[in-house]
Amino acid sequence: MRQDERVSGAWIALRIVVAVVYLFMFGPILITAAVSFNASNRSLFPPQGFSLRWWGRALSPDWLDPLLFSLELGAAASVLATLLALPLAFALVRHEFRGRNALIALTLGPLLLPALVTGVGILQLFQYVGLRDYIGLPALVAGHVVICLPFAVRTTAISLQGMPPNLENAAASLGAPPWRTQLHVILPLVKNGIVAGAVFAFIHSFTDVNLSLFLVRPGEIPINVKILGFLEFGFAPTLAAVSVITILIPLLVVVAVQRMTGLGDFLYAERGHG
Amino acid sequence: MVDPALSLAGIEKRYGDTLAVAGLDLDVAEGEFVTLLGPSGCGKTTTLAVVAGFFAPSKGDVRIKGRSVLGLPPFRRDIGVVFQDYALFAHMTAAQNVAFGLMMRRVSKPEIERRVAEALDLVKLSGLGGRRPHELSGGQRQRVALARALVIRPAILLLDEPLSNLDLKLREEMRLEIAELQRRLGITTLFVTHDQGEALVMSDRVAVMNAGRIEQLGRPVDIYERPSSRFVAEFIGRMNLFSARIAAETAGWHVRLADGRVLSLPVPAAMADGAAVHVAVRPEKARLSRHPAPAGWLVFRGTVERILYLGATSEIRLQLENGGRATAEAANGEEIAGFTPGTVVWFTAPPEACRVLPA
Repeated sequence: MRQDERVSGAWIALRIVVAVVYLFMFGPILITAAVSFNASNRSLFPPQGFSLRWWGRALSPDWLDPLLFSLELGAAASVLATLLALPLAFALVRHEFRGRNALIALTLGPLLLPALVTGVGILQLFQYVGLRDYIGLPALVAGHVVICLPFAVRTTAISLQGMPPNLENAAASLGAPPWRTQLHVILPLVKNGIVAGAVFAFIHSFTDVNLSLFLVRPGEIPINVKILGFLEFGFAPTLAAVSVITILIPLLVVVAVQRMTGLGDFLYAERGHG
Repeated sequence: MVDPALSLAGIEKRYGDTLAVAGLDLDVAEGEFVTLLGPSGCGKTTTLAVVAGFFAPSKGDVRIKGRSVLGLPPFRRDIGVVFQDYALFAHMTAAQNVAFGLMMRRVSKPEIERRVAEALDLVKLSGLGGRRPHELSGGQRQRVALARALVIRPAILLLDEPLSNLDLKLREEMRLEIAELQRRLGITTLFVTHDQGEALVMSDRVAVMNAGRIEQLGRPVDIYERPSSRFVAEFIGRMNLFSARIAAETAGWHVRLADGRVLSLPVPAAMADGAAVHVAVRPEKARLSRHPAPAGWLVFRGTVERILYLGATSEIRLQLENGGRATAEAANGEEIAGFTPGTVVWFTAPPEACRVLPA
């Protein structure tokens, strides 16, 4: 009996903690969403009246263009970071070589540096080496690849580490030349890691503002930088609507990929190779 | 003369300053089951990996059916390997795992289906082909790995401690099953293990390895009954060792024990007068008696120190009067009835139970 009581006590405590966490996570989002339906000109909560006009503005080219730009930028950064991460993760997990630690530091470093500093650094670099004209999309892609790379390398490396060390030997002993081993054995097994890396890279790029701040030029502005700029004029209900859109996009990406590959399994219980 | 199915000549493998394999020669005949037996780090797995082609030897040659395969990568060597961790492909079903080697050989689809079914049947997994590795028990994974290696009908089957991850009961079953399968298929097999029981039960011949070399190569009975060195004697089973020296007498070669007594025992060739040796006696060949033994037997007086009850037998540990220790194993019956710690007994062994080994 006592045991049961204690267990149910613990369960109640856990539920309260979870509820509080959810409240902190979703409260602000829900408030923002509610504000976007205001009939008033001001961002009032609870909203006064109901109107879709702010959503109409949010979906005008003024906002849709930077949104599309962010999507393109995120996709480009994600694909490039993933392509770079694959050989990097292979080298780091499978081989001992001189400079391995330096390479680890280099690929994971951007996690530790404030993106703001990286942004300033890239801006200065582009200016010094005469690439001033490439500030805008090219510089943004370069910068985003740098800050997204650690995520892609980590997830790919984790899925590689989970593999039994003899897999490649086993495939070879069965008559598979190296390229067929990669194609039929290794790639299917690291697929989820690669996809997870790509998703993280995309989201990291899509939600970034610190780095992007320094590398934009007119017409090539990610949505978050645009939002930040607009905030100077106060938090209009338009911004609330735009914010909801920028929250929904990464959420939808995660849900879609989760449906397809079991991203959550990869994140929380990577035991799939036993 | 027919070329051996597998021939290792002067294999050396060096890692930096250490020699993992230090000059190893071994011929395995067609259809033979040969075991590399030794403690971890003796070079047995390295030797297997050299045969498989997972890495090249520093020196020496590997020939399969008379042809050197050193220039061939593993995927052209016509070998089948079963690994300790099975190394099954987690994203494929059991049947797909078994089919993999046939796919790589571009065997036709119907032929693949037929042979996969046959191979799964062979390892008693019919009906489980659709399962993924994580849905199978350890023993079943083992069987999938075995079927996967056998289905390609390799020239040589290499088994790298395939039973170590199974529990005792299953391990003993699989020993027999693998050995029977091997004989039925007549497939030349090189088996690596640290488990002497597996080696004795399964093999046609056993190569006992130590420090990168083969210490002794022979049939299981040779290895157990006539070990050629102290290492082999102590690694396989248990052994009582008594220090002695070779003594050349008029009537041939004898052995002088530390206390001066001289015994007439068969002495291995090429031993000099006065050379230090051990007289070795297996615990189960020794006899404990309350009376001194017949003349010509090895005899030590001692007291029972401990008796370990093992079920069918008991192990009796003695403190000898000369300060040494000895162990005897005897059936639980009249012979040792009434023995308790402190009982004074004679540890005795007939000459044919004694073996003289270089010290």
